[in-house]
Amino acid sequence: MTALGGFLWLVSFWLIGEVIVYLTAIPVSSGVLGMLLLSITLALRGGVPDTLAAAAQPLIALLAMLIMPGVVGVFFVAGELGGQWVAIIVSLMLGTLLSVLTTLWLMRHLMRGQNVK
Amino acid sequence: MLSDALLEQLTTTPLFAVALTLTAYLIGMAIFRRLKQPTWLPAVLIAALLLAVFLLISGLHYTTYQQGAAWLSVLLGPATVALGMPLYQQFPRIRELWRPLVVCLPVSASLAVVYAVGIAWLMGLPDTVLASLAAKSVTAPIAIGITQQLGGSIPLLMGGLLITGVVAIAVVSLAAKWMKISDERLIGFALGLNGHAIGTVRAFEISPTAGAFASLGMSLTGIFTALLLPLAWHFIG
Repeated sequence: MTALGGFLWLVSFWLIGEVIVYLTAIPVSSGVLGMLLLSITLALRGGVPDTLAAAAQPLIALLAMLIMPGVVGVFFVAGELGGQWVAIIVSLMLGTLLSVLTTLWLMRHLMRGQNVK
Repeated sequence: MLSDALLEQLTTTPLFAVALTLTAYLIGMAIFRRLKQPTWLPAVLIAALLLAVFLLISGLHYTTYQQGAAWLSVLLGPATVALGMPLYQQFPRIRELWRPLVVCLPVSASLAVVYAVGIAWLMGLPDTVLASLAAKSVTAPIAIGITQQLGGSIPLLMGGLLITGVVAIAVVSLAAKWMKISDERLIGFALGLNGHAIGTVRAFEISPTAGAFASLGMSLTGIFTALLLPLAWHFIG
């Protein structure tokens, strides 16, 4: 039952994120706010409680399954694009190829002297 | 294939959608392992394809499935929060690299938008499509908010997120080999920054360190893009 307390931690931080989004109207999701707040809280507290680890570990492992229902929807919108889908796929693939190469090249360049493996 | 009456009976509770999701995921994972974990075909894509095929054959509407599966997807919120734990555990290693990270993030996150939207614009795609592709490297819950502000289409964005995530995983693994990069911090950061949640899932398959740097890249890209893209779009558009 230790995971239950940890799960309450996670849900609470998500809800705190919701309250912050409501109060400040910032365009960031409550999940991401909760993630940052949780990491800051753990740093201030100095350590991860066992209950939290017991809940967080399995949830992170299930991340792929949790995004799956949304991914399924993608296959049901292809018809709406008409003849544009080739251009759309080319820009996404080429754009992503270029941005990945830029990130890797730039980070390696910036990390010079930081013993990059 | 299944009769309407049976489908109606099965979908009175979310459990049918939950069972379908778990089944597709477990089979998807098994196929993924059997194929020796190909980077160009992540488990989530195999599982989603299986499920889409089942929906087509059975005649179950996607929206009906989605309503039931919402019982699982709601956990995406706490699961995202949970990424704060590996993030905290890697704080010392992130602090070592704070300077490159701070410089690289705004440049790479901006270029992720500029490259894709620029190419799409050159290919003559209309403004609504450009607006739908702009947030393609941002994690879904934030990307949806951005796309609404820009006036793009959400279903098209979701397609863009999927393609971007899958391509990012494949390109990171190929380019890292080609550029002789084996540093998990760098690979993880590139996965999260360019490939959002799909890239982050992949990074956790590599190692907890890669996963933490991916979480960092994903969250910072999300925040940076959410704060600046609508503003930049307003001035350029």
